Order: sequence, then structure tokens, then C-alpha cells
Amino acid sequence: MTSPYRPEFEAGLAALARVAERMKAQGCLPPVLVGGGAVEIYSNSAIITGDFDISTARQDVFEQALREEGFIRPSGAGKATRGWIHPELKLGFEVVSDRLLDGNAERDRVRRISIGDEGEIAVISVEDMIADRMGQYASGTARDMLDQAKALFRLYPDADRAYMERRIREETAGDHGIDTLES
Amino acid sequence: MASTRSKAETKAIPLDAFGRDVERRRQAAGNIEVPRNEGTRRTPSKRALLKAIEDSGGNW
Repeated sequence: MTSPYRPEFEAGLAALARVAERMKAQGCLPPVLVGGGAVEIYSNSAIITGDFDISTARQDVFEQALREEGFIRPSGAGKATRGWIHPELKLGFEVVSDRLLDGNAERDRVRRISIGDEGEIAVISVEDMIADRMGQYASGTARDMLDQAKALFRLYPDADRAYMERRIREETAGDHGIDTLES
Repeated sequence: MASTRSKAETKAIPLDAFGRDVERRRQAAGNIEVPRNEGTRRTPSKRALLKAIEDSGGNW
């Protein structure tokens, strides 16, 4: 498999695919990649620093699958985290929500991407990813989130504008819409 | 350029094809810079996770 993504990022996606396949084998929906990892896959820009944010309603099954894949939970003074790391792959996963953007993102818009023989991963839709970044921008002074949203908007001119407009309004309490991205 | 679609596709797209589509989009859009997260809103859990990754030798 050859892809334009950096090898360490691709290794993380492969690990996620293996975990997702373990979950599906138990009748669970696959975990969904959200956050910076989703921005990275949609933009092929080096966004994340080794941590993959995940949304899954079955954190227990997800974390069991991580254990089976060799992940460990860091322990010790100053290491209290909900996340898991893989000592050889040198990357981590953390469940950040049990519902996709608080249940406001439409699950059937999730993108499915095949990672060779490892299996498939699920990635939040680009429209919801843009809305998420706008929500974070609206909640503070996160200029980086606005810039990420604008970049994704430029990369995906064929995105579903009606859905994206609605989702941005929802995430920003009505303060922003597509017009902010176009300004 | 593969279109985004209103509903999920029935078949998964291979990562290499997805990545090539992203590259086409980047070329079409011109000079696109996507900033890294500034990290100002990280939770203590996230900071601890990133520290653990760094301590394991992760170089991202």
C-alpha cells in the first residue's frame, strides 16, 4: 500500500483499523476518528502529535481491543490519562466522546476508508469536522480552529453546504455559518 | 476529484486513493496551510498522554 500520508500517521490508522475489526467482530459499531486525526486525513497536513481522538459508544470494548493490540495505559506519578499508548508504535488513542459530536453528527455520513489488509476505519464527515472546528472557535479565541475550518472548506468545495450550514449553526449557537468561512 | 456525498458510500475507499484525492484537492486549491492545534485547550489527560508518547520516543 502506498499513500501520501506520513508513515507514522499511517501506522496509527492501521492500528485503528485492527481495533475496529475486533470491535465489529463483536457486533459493535466501529470507533470513529475525530479531532486532529480527522483533519490530518482530510488535508494530509501534519496536524497531530501522536494522539488520535476517538468517538465510540463502547469504550469498554474499544479499550479491550487496544489491550489485545499491545496498547498500555500509562501509569505513575504525573501520568494520569484516559488515553492509551503503544510503546513500539509510539502513538496513542483517547476516547473523547461516546456520541459523535454529542449525537448531532449524522452517523451515516461517516467516511469508511480501507487500510489495506488491516481492515477499515471510520472517519467523521468533513462537514461535521468543519462544524466541530467552528464550534471550538466560537467558544473562545481559537484562531487555529478557524484556520483549520477554512482550509478544509477550501479543500472540499463539493461538501454538502446545506448540512454544513446547519451543523455550523448548531455548533456555534447560531453565531456562525458558511459566511464566516467565506469571509 | 471524488465528490463528497450526502450519505455514506456503500464501499470503503482505499487509503491510497483517498490520499491521492486529497493531493488533487490541495493542488486545485493552491497554497493551503493547515495549522497544527495550538494546544491551548488540552485537558490534563491529553497533556499526560502526549507526554507519555514523547517519553516513549515518539517524534511527531
